[in-house]
Amino acid sequence: MAKETTISLTLDGIPLTAYPGQTLAAVLMSNGIRSWRTTRFEYQPRGVLCGIGVCFDCLITLNGMPNVRACTTEASNGDELNSQLGTGHGHFE
Amino acid sequence: MATSNKPVDVAVIGSGPAGMAAAVVAGESGASVLLIDASGRAGGQFYRRPTNPLVPVAGRSLHKWALFDDLEVRAENLSRHGMLTTMRSTMVWSAEGTGPFQIQTRTNSRPPERLETVVATTLVIATGAFDRHLPFPGWELPGVMSCGAVQALVKGSGVLPGQRILVAGTGPILLAVAATVLEAGGSVAAVVEANSPERLLVRAHRLTGALDKSPDLARYIALLARHRVPYLRRHRVIAAQGKGQLDFVEVAKVDRDWHQTSEDSRVITCDVLAIGFGFTASTELLVQLNAEMCVSGDGGLAVNVDSHQGTSVVGVFACGETTGVGGADLALAEGMIAGASAAQKLGLASRLGRRELEVAKRRVRRLRNVADAFSSTFATHNGWTDQVGDNTTICRCEEVRAGTIRNAVDHLGAVDVRSVKLTTRAGMGWCQGRVCSYAINLMCSRKAVPTPEGQRDALLAAERRPMTAPVTLGTLAQHFAPGVEPPDC
Amino acid sequence: MSSPLPSTADVVVVGAGIVGACCAHFLADEGLDVLVLDRGAVSGGTTGAGEGNILVSDKDPGPELELALVSSNLWTELGDFIGEAAELELKGGLIVATSESSNAALVRRARRQGLAGVDVVELTPNEAREHEPLLAAGLAGACMYPQDMQVQPMLAASHLLAPRTRIGRVTVITQCEVKSVQLTQSGAIKAVVTSQGEVATPLLVNAAGAWAGEVAKLAGVSLPILPRRGFILVTEPLPHVIHHKVYTADYIDNVASDSAGLETSTVIEGTQGGPILIGSSRERVGFDRTPDWPVLAGLAALAIAVFPFLASVQLLRAYAGFRPYCPDHLPVIGPDPQISGLFHACGHEGSGVSLAPVTGVLLAEAIMDRPTRVSLAPFLPGRFEK
Repeated sequence: MAKETTISLTLDGIPLTAYPGQTLAAVLMSNGIRSWRTTRFEYQPRGVLCGIGVCFDCLITLNGMPNVRACTTEASNGDELNSQLGTGHGHFE
Repeated sequence: MATSNKPVDVAVIGSGPAGMAAAVVAGESGASVLLIDASGRAGGQFYRRPTNPLVPVAGRSLHKWALFDDLEVRAENLSRHGMLTTMRSTMVWSAEGTGPFQIQTRTNSRPPERLETVVATTLVIATGAFDRHLPFPGWELPGVMSCGAVQALVKGSGVLPGQRILVAGTGPILLAVAATVLEAGGSVAAVVEANSPERLLVRAHRLTGALDKSPDLARYIALLARHRVPYLRRHRVIAAQGKGQLDFVEVAKVDRDWHQTSEDSRVITCDVLAIGFGFTASTELLVQLNAEMCVSGDGGLAVNVDSHQGTSVVGVFACGETTGVGGADLALAEGMIAGASAAQKLGLASRLGRRELEVAKRRVRRLRNVADAFSSTFATHNGWTDQVGDNTTICRCEEVRAGTIRNAVDHLGAVDVRSVKLTTRAGMGWCQGRVCSYAINLMCSRKAVPTPEGQRDALLAAERRPMTAPVTLGTLAQHFAPGVEPPDC
Repeated sequence: MSSPLPSTADVVVVGAGIVGACCAHFLADEGLDVLVLDRGAVSGGTTGAGEGNILVSDKDPGPELELALVSSNLWTELGDFIGEAAELELKGGLIVATSESSNAALVRRARRQGLAGVDVVELTPNEAREHEPLLAAGLAGACMYPQDMQVQPMLAASHLLAPRTRIGRVTVITQCEVKSVQLTQSGAIKAVVTSQGEVATPLLVNAAGAWAGEVAKLAGVSLPILPRRGFILVTEPLPHVIHHKVYTADYIDNVASDSAGLETSTVIEGTQGGPILIGSSRERVGFDRTPDWPVLAGLAALAIAVFPFLASVQLLRAYAGFRPYCPDHLPVIGPDPQISGLFHACGHEGSGVSLAPVTGVLLAEAIMDRPTRVSLAPFLPGRFEK
């Protein structure tokens, strides 16, 4: 598919390319990343399940804010994504 | 508290085919319309398109795009004349009242969210549906996703989630997803259908005449044939395997009741497994409003509507999947009727003539029959639990396994989704049971099959959610109770 | 728990919530064969909406505090065999005061409670923050109640009702509604007629929570029990950063109020699973479950005032529960004055979980015609006949 301009984001500091209007989940998957979070009891890796915002499996930290749904949030240039462990509120511990 | 100045005549919640049709008909009848959608662009799931117009649309050749495009043009016209306002990327998380109705909304784009309260004289609930799930070993592996997820990624963001996509489950959605992937230039490893739908395809043609589903299905089948995609009927996924992510899937032949017919299974290498087991209608707002509900032909909860798409709550209309999952064509027809009925309720002359309305109602009756026929063909059968070991995760959010749930049903007095939740935590996580409650309900029903009312009440209790989306505590406090001082304590 | 309905029982308990479960447990220990009936699931009613508070801190010296102290010890004993499964935790309660005057009232009360046998420690604001580092600045003082406990009430009820080796037998039939109560010529309990059939029994225990008034009516008597709605807010899962039950001093005053209108104060605690629970408004509005968002937002605001970090925490769910409420704020425990064989174990308002074990024990003692370890005089159903 031909696309016009690209935007840049990072995941844990690693650069990703994206196109305006894509969701964070789409950006991650098109960059070959399929999981960006672990569950809080058994540390299972999780990524996209429902893809439309109802399952909350795809939670990611966006510009310091934890538990953002990657599949419903559109990417913006300069976004800093971070993978999450457990509750996503690591700074409490 | 941020709130609109005066009540809007009609608030339409959801701008898929049902909501768009309702909004346009109501607006063209002279009502002031507010159209609210959680997504950044109208279309729902079926007519999903990217918000960025520069990204080319996959699957442009789906018929009836023209119909939806026409609705969008008419909506745009109504907007220009001030009759229609749209709130995009906005979720309705609470609806209450007996007329007028209070709607609580929150932005859905990126946090922090903003809240707004809206008051409407009538409501049209067109909130669509989401994929249903039946757990199996390995379904938590990254790479296993719903058919809806694949559609959203391809149609909404122009991204193929993997190199080699296996499509499995049951229902016409499997063919639709496979077609979407192929049209986007992707590769489909196989389509694995648990039921045996051949007779239905013949019936469907007879049921609908020369219109509707048949050309779509025929096109999908031709596309699969052209790309030599294996189509395995009466086969199921036994397990998904991989280390930390999906590497391959084990499938096996099953009988009519979904039990394996032999020990043999085969392995299919893939990096994405798109699963589909029908849909759950998003009926929570209707439950909040205390509308009378019923059990639909596919075993899910639906709202009871009369031939005018009116619910048991005066002033609340429902259309599309909320009245029973039935696809985009049914949604369009129901939406037209709902919009006309809302206008009539307001005392306005409906833009639809009596004859147009009769045609739409006949269409609705016919398409509901088709939907019922599809439901029975693509039903869930008891064998689905054969592979569900005590170790299989049922509630993904809280990581509750099948053994824990079975123990609660067998020994702790749990009888339904709600009591399972109270004794196991299943359904208490972020998704509040949306993903797991279908399976848990089936697991409870195995012990004692409930009466139809019992079934409806159990589903209803599971769908009772006072908030349909999370809200930040501070934002909630500021919006509703801005002046609250802690008491002298 | 889906066996066929027995045709007889030594005693029938109506209500498979925490109070009914405790009654069944202690009656079975006495050697009786107990049949527990519920029209829904175990813990499907009041208990299912409960927070799981086992408190002495919220009670002024008096009959209810006396019950609470005995009950707490009983919970510890029950904990020996269901504690882990029911997540019983000796958490301790922390009451915080944000002004000098309320702190003075809090301390006075704490001293009265201390004289009545309650363990309580007065804390300075700094000491309070040692117990709960995330507390807001600007507190005037606090009191710590080490005896306060937490339990998961639904699991507790389920495990108490589960089969185990006992002298008597406990049978639980769910989704079985009592339709009518049959009496002998002399007005004693003879049988109950249910949606699944008839059960002959000489003893009937009304442990039907917020619906105990309706069950009493089936037997031809009246109990002034009304539902007092409360809401609980449930947050997203968080790390364990709140260690005790924390509440503000006006929670105590609210419990004692008779006002039908809304009273809000805040109770905040963490759970083992991760979400933080925030309660608890008290209104008397019948059985309406519709959330009142300004009320719930008020709860949120109060909670944020105590723990400022909550401002950025997400709310996932809010749910209503109906506390069974008596006009004099005391539970109903004991024999019905009119109908022989009928006993009531209900009306516990917000203290059902706390007082369930002592209720069960007292009821068993009363049914077996032994002196009760706590006087039943303040709790007798006959007190309403005036």
